[in-house]
Amino acid sequence: MQLDPSFIWTAFWQLLGAIPTTLSITAVSVLAGFVIGAVTAMLRMYRAPVLAQIASAYVTFIRGTPMLTHLLIIYFGLPMIIDGLAEHFGWSFRSVSIPMIGFAYISFSITAGAYMSEVVRAGILAVDRGQVEAAQSVGMTTFQSLRRIVFPQALAAALPNLANSVIGMLHGSTLAFAVSVVDINAKAQIVASTNWKFFEAYLAAALIFWGLTVLIERVAALIEKRVGAYNRGGVA
Amino acid sequence: MIALSNISKSFGRNQVLQDISLNVNRGEVVVILGPSGSGKTTLLRCVNYLEKPGSGQIAVGDFHVDCSRARRGDILQLRRKTAMVFQQYNLFRHKTALENVMEALLVVKKLPAAEARKRSIALLEKVGLGAKLNEYPSRLSGGQQQRVGIARALALEPEVILFDEPTSALDPELVGEVLEVIRAIAREGITMIVVTHEMGFARDVANRVVFMDGGVIVEEGTPDEVFQHPKEERTKQFLRRITPEANYSI
Repeated sequence: MQLDPSFIWTAFWQLLGAIPTTLSITAVSVLAGFVIGAVTAMLRMYRAPVLAQIASAYVTFIRGTPMLTHLLIIYFGLPMIIDGLAEHFGWSFRSVSIPMIGFAYISFSITAGAYMSEVVRAGILAVDRGQVEAAQSVGMTTFQSLRRIVFPQALAAALPNLANSVIGMLHGSTLAFAVSVVDINAKAQIVASTNWKFFEAYLAAALIFWGLTVLIERVAALIEKRVGAYNRGGVA
Repeated sequence: MIALSNISKSFGRNQVLQDISLNVNRGEVVVILGPSGSGKTTLLRCVNYLEKPGSGQIAVGDFHVDCSRARRGDILQLRRKTAMVFQQYNLFRHKTALENVMEALLVVKKLPAAEARKRSIALLEKVGLGAKLNEYPSRLSGGQQQRVGIARALALEPEVILFDEPTSALDPELVGEVLEVIRAIAREGITMIVVTHEMGFARDVANRVVFMDGGVIVEEGTPDEVFQHPKEERTKQFLRRITPEANYSI
């Protein structure tokens, strides 16, 4: 068994085709997760009756169980629910018409939501209470003070953690192979299955993931610089 | 003009304000003094509902609210008629000096941007910050930040401005510039309630001094009455503790 450097290159080119799949899973789970996380965080911070308890239970259960388990539970559980409902209400829709990647979207969004609710919460807590009081003291409503004063600063404070979450979801998206979605990693396995050069293929996959991660870090740094410009003070 | 009637407030079982009544006339500057824990800051915060009074009535101008059944709309109205200058400035840190002053004009008063901008620039020039319009709070000194805070409070043309120890967080050499601005506004006849430990300022600027202790108003009168001829023993004790001997005998 010898290293075949040229096959790393060959595999690399073939793996590029799977990048859109990986990125779409990452993007969907991060965006939907952010919305879920923001809502969850607000419910908990404002102690909404009943809903706050449900939100807490959601966060502790999801963070307490592996992402792969979420995917498998959704994959096996969701069709049962959908088909049951469809039969009951006489819909023509059946779970077989859900594409495999749909299960990855749904389950990873749920996973990301729980982690991001903590990121959002930390961001909001980073905005000091005095500024909210100042907004109230000039007659702004709660919603106005959240939208104009708290959220922009919470976002700036949460950016480093958000970037971490994006990278986490990028790498986590490889688990989608469990429901037969061909992402970069799964593609590497397929590419190597004809000649057994798995090592070269996975090396190529690693290079692509590394590149994507560096790209995300760069973009995050750029956004951070723009959004956090107000923090670079000279005088105390 | 401003009438607080029978305001009471408790934090848990600790009663901080006991049935306080205070009237402030238009254009009057009232300074509230008192040891820490006397309830003076809480009283001030009750006036614009940053603390919710347990009971009592608040009247500002022609607006009147009964605290035991104040609704959200009442609270918003009350806040639009009052403004607060905070001990820790509490500027919006992601907004420039100009944007800090403009914010309420745009969002609360819904003025067109050009109009809000014009008025905000005028206010910042008035507090001596015409050259710092586009600086973020992190690049301003404490004194400059507090002057932005004062311009922000002036922007809504409130019936009364509440000052909560506006110079307590400042370096000693910056206290003067802020007091100077407050003095200038007082001369324009804007109604003010000021909680402060600056005795010299209280003596110069106040029309009336109110001394609080233990959640009640112990004594009130002109600065001369309270500082030179205090009637109550608690007032005398307090003044002895905070006023250097030399000043006290003037």
